[in-house]
Amino acid sequence: MKSYRMAWRNLWRNRRRTLITVASVFFAVLFALLMRSLQLGSYDHMFRNVIESYTGYIQVQNQDFWDDKIIDNVFDFTPELGNLIMEDPNANEIVPRLESFALASSGQVTKGVMVLGIDPEKEAFLSDVRSKLVRYRITEENVNGIKNSDIPDKIKKSLDIFIGNSYTSKTGLILDLGINKDDTATVLPIVEKFTRFANGFISKGIPEALIGNKLSIYLKAAIGDTLVLIGQGYHGTTAAGKYRISGIVKLPTPDIDNKVVYLPVDICQELYNAEGMLTSLAISIKDNHDKEIDRMISSLGLKIVPPMRVIGWREMNKLMINQMDADNKSGIVMIAILYMVIAFGIFGTVLMMTAERRREFGVLVAIGMQKTKLASVVVLEMIYVGMIGIAAGIAVSLPAIMYGFYHPIRLSRELAKMYEDYGLEPIMTFMPPDTYFFWQVVVISAIVIIAVIYPVRKIFKTETVISLKA
Amino acid sequence: MNRFVSLISTAALIFFKVIDLQAQSLTAAEVVKKADEKFNGEKSSLMEMSMTIVRPTWQRSVEFRNWSLGKEYALTLVTAPARDNGQAFLKRNTEMWNWNPTINRLIKLPPSMMSQGWMGSDYTNDDILKESSVVKDYTHEFAGEEMVDRRICYVIKMIAREDASVVWGSQVRWIDKMDFLVLRAELYDEDGSLVRTETGSDIKTMDGRIIQTKIELVPADEPGNKTILVIKDVKFNIPIQESFFSQQNMKSLR
Repeated sequence: MKSYRMAWRNLWRNRRRTLITVASVFFAVLFALLMRSLQLGSYDHMFRNVIESYTGYIQVQNQDFWDDKIIDNVFDFTPELGNLIMEDPNANEIVPRLESFALASSGQVTKGVMVLGIDPEKEAFLSDVRSKLVRYRITEENVNGIKNSDIPDKIKKSLDIFIGNSYTSKTGLILDLGINKDDTATVLPIVEKFTRFANGFISKGIPEALIGNKLSIYLKAAIGDTLVLIGQGYHGTTAAGKYRISGIVKLPTPDIDNKVVYLPVDICQELYNAEGMLTSLAISIKDNHDKEIDRMISSLGLKIVPPMRVIGWREMNKLMINQMDADNKSGIVMIAILYMVIAFGIFGTVLMMTAERRREFGVLVAIGMQKTKLASVVVLEMIYVGMIGIAAGIAVSLPAIMYGFYHPIRLSRELAKMYEDYGLEPIMTFMPPDTYFFWQVVVISAIVIIAVIYPVRKIFKTETVISLKA
Repeated sequence: MNRFVSLISTAALIFFKVIDLQAQSLTAAEVVKKADEKFNGEKSSLMEMSMTIVRPTWQRSVEFRNWSLGKEYALTLVTAPARDNGQAFLKRNTEMWNWNPTINRLIKLPPSMMSQGWMGSDYTNDDILKESSVVKDYTHEFAGEEMVDRRICYVIKMIAREDASVVWGSQVRWIDKMDFLVLRAELYDEDGSLVRTETGSDIKTMDGRIIQTKIELVPADEPGNKTILVIKDVKFNIPIQESFFSQQNMKSLR
């Protein structure tokens, strides 16, 4: 009989033993994949949040601005500069920004804020501010309104928990309140009716501002209120201005949400006495592959001369990259520990199997089976076990990961608060299958192969007579 | 003829002797006080000034008007450039306010902001509002005589009193013996390192007094930076009431 058939049959002679070994491999693969996917997914999500929603992949700045973010480090934005950038085949749109600090007050409260002068239309290519406008807000009054209408008690309860929360879309509202599919049709319109938040936008030439949701709560400012900004302008002038708050935005990063003020870029230039000047020009690109971005950075770098310079996303997000690197290392250590546990589990079952089958091995050798053949059968058995375990692990984790990728886990209540306190968006995303899948498979296979060394050695050392007596 | 010459020379001798005597009898503190009062007015003053801020890559000018009454009250109104026109700074005793007409806000300046630059210049808020007194807040002593711009000057070392709330640790002033003009001043921090140097020049007669009308301020640790203050017009001891220095008035001044 061929060894592979023999090995296959051997597997099912003792089903329980085989299943235990398969299970240990299966769980190893499953946990390792889920953990890795979640970790990599979260990094990816964070990157996207910051890069695609704020810095962009490439910017043009005054050469001193990055190290010293003061309003004096600006540059003159000329049409020639715009044309120069747009000549690049990968350039999609240029997004002008003027960024500085100021003290903001509305009524009695004052807070230091980040003032961002943006082109309201062009900004849609990067940080789509319009999509971040608050659309629903749960306040004490509207909770009372909803409670008087006919909705399930469970939702009434969650309404109390989420008083003060704002939402930019229906999805968040549905998730937080735990409105299930059946209720959506009846409950959602009622909730929407009461929590709807009327919001405006900003446009060039009109002295109006958008402010962060958390900032609006801190300043106790509502739409239509006057926001007063005072700070230092270009070349030490006084920057002071009054703006009507036309909208409230909720940004995914709480750290920015509590201090951001958006002004139309021309109004912002007027405020800081920096007519025609920008602190940065973010470039929206067509192809965001690393290679293409690097090419663009170096090609623009040659064309753009001091006092401007080109800056890439890696340099702009150095801190975050370092943090993630450190976090990634700790993740790798966790996975290494997981592998150790798994390796000993697999080794344990192999050890048990070898001991159980000592007599069997002895008999086989005694009736004339060659030790090499016997060893190859045992190795094949282990490879089967490994393959079944890995296949099962992937089969189960793949749908889970894909589901998690399309439906990120949204943390709620205390856990969400904890995440927000750390300045993170309370969301857990999975990373779709990538090279990390392959590596998990390689590592688990290696563990199985190492584990199989023991029975093989045992077989070659078999003293037939002693084994038969076992 | 001989008699005439000797008479003249005797008169000259007496005259210089008198000046010398007068100088001899002055203490260092009195010299500083005299110079301070000469420049700022014994009771009150109104100055029309322009300030040019010079930086390595740019420069900018601000014009303003400053009323003061004693050491206790001061009001500064910015008149140019147009975007800053109407901004006012008021000092009453130890409290200070800033009025900004563009935002209709009156802002109280905390004492912690006293050492910060005024309108982006090298002048501090303290310099403009003259919170501290060069006479009362320092101890003074002579440290010799030197020539500055072909004028003989007293060199006076001033050390801040321990209980005084001043920005500087010590100062050295070169004060002209004839006209009591501060021609040069070096300002040091508490550690004794030079923070900035001020020089007075363009000596002119204004409102009947000989004063320095151009003051150049050079910070020690920022090469290429300086602030030039030019006095365009000045009136000493104008009739002005304490009630002039009010929050209402600072809002309506034009």
